[in-house]
Amino acid sequence: MIATVTLNPTLDVILEVNGLKLNHYNKVYNTQTTAGGKGINVSKAVRACGRETIALGFVGGNRGITVEEELRRLGITTNFWHIGENTRSNIIIRDTKSGEHTLLSEPGPRVTEYDLKMFHSAFYRVISQSCLVILSGSLPLGVPEEIYAYLIATAQEGGVKTILNTSGVQFSKGLERKPFLASPDIRETNQFGGILIDREKNAIKAAEKIVQKGAEIAVVSLEEQKDIIATRDELWFAETTYPKIVNLIGAGDALIAGFAIALTEGKNLKETIEFAMACALASALREEEEFSSREEVEKCRRWVKVKKYENRMER
Amino acid sequence: MKIKDLMIRDVTSIMNDCKLVDLIQILSRHKITGVPVVNHNQEVIGFISQHDVIKAALPNYLEIINSSSIFSEFIQLSKRLQEYSEHPVEEFMNKKVLTIEEEDNEVLAASLLIQNKIQRLPVVRENKLVGIVTLTDICRILVEKTENKEK
Repeated sequence: MIATVTLNPTLDVILEVNGLKLNHYNKVYNTQTTAGGKGINVSKAVRACGRETIALGFVGGNRGITVEEELRRLGITTNFWHIGENTRSNIIIRDTKSGEHTLLSEPGPRVTEYDLKMFHSAFYRVISQSCLVILSGSLPLGVPEEIYAYLIATAQEGGVKTILNTSGVQFSKGLERKPFLASPDIRETNQFGGILIDREKNAIKAAEKIVQKGAEIAVVSLEEQKDIIATRDELWFAETTYPKIVNLIGAGDALIAGFAIALTEGKNLKETIEFAMACALASALREEEEFSSREEVEKCRRWVKVKKYENRMER
Repeated sequence: MKIKDLMIRDVTSIMNDCKLVDLIQILSRHKITGVPVVNHNQEVIGFISQHDVIKAALPNYLEIINSSSIFSEFIQLSKRLQEYSEHPVEEFMNKKVLTIEEEDNEVLAASLLIQNKIQRLPVVRENKLVGIVTLTDICRILVEKTENKEK
């Protein structure tokens, strides 16, 4: 079972407009709601590939119940701790005229020390049933920045591999505990550890720095559908060459899901990267957030190109 | 139909060494009447419901449920709950827990739930908790089956 942790999930409200005008009246012609948050998106992609997954974290209020019910309908097992405040909502404005997506993200509810204690208790239990845990996304108010570091240590004590995919201080602190795979979420700042990830050379530097800090595998996204993957001994460049990407929201989470699935199926690094990139592409080709079958992923593999830097001087 | 296709995929539960006060928080926050009790390996070792707690706090529980008012017992209930709040749930849980395998079917689940007058049945795989099935879920499936046949 692949476990995911989403400490700050969302109920995403997707509003479709035809030509968004700021500071103006805009008519919404279609509305959808869906459970979101990075870990939840990973669970959805894992389940779409036919693998068992369990989603943990905090939910609250009616929005939280809606999130749980949607996940269970998809066949995802849940074990959320119910907090006193309401789960946050994300507004995604999908402009069908320009093809642009605008995301308005709420900060999230406050979590108490008692909530944290009860979450840790659930995490500890679930670890015994899991082969890999993915820790991803932002933190709600009241959650210490060391939380991912603590959870990585707990998982390691249980002999369970971890994937860390978040940003800021919680990423740096988590990295100190040496997760198996680490991928910084650079959507907001486009940088990691003072390195601006604007070109291949810098993405490689960032990936190597993550490996030096102790992750066995580092994944750094360079730009749309291009990634650098580093281990202690190997360096890979991966990209997808499909000409028309529809929706990049959730593609990064599908990439992480792909790594999780492939790593737990004993694939080698090249196959793992290919499968993960195919998952990301399958997600990016759908207007809805996630693909719905492993066949979709397999079809996308022909658009994936991976290249190993045979000699690191090559870069 | 297999239980795994109709169960609620939720593994909310409580560890045997957790305190009664935590159990009450879980039942209250999750708006449920009872939870499976598990050990550190997620193996089901008991079940505890709100009635188990009240039974423990009020030894003459059976008399009270047949009386017209529980007003006179209320102070005792309050005192006992405070007294027991730090006790582990394993003291109060039902150790003869009934479970069902995820590969079993809805007929067996309905039979267990009705004959034992219980609301929630833990679903297990190799004795580890994987979900919960309720009589309501089974009734829903039976109604849907009937509707499909009529169509």
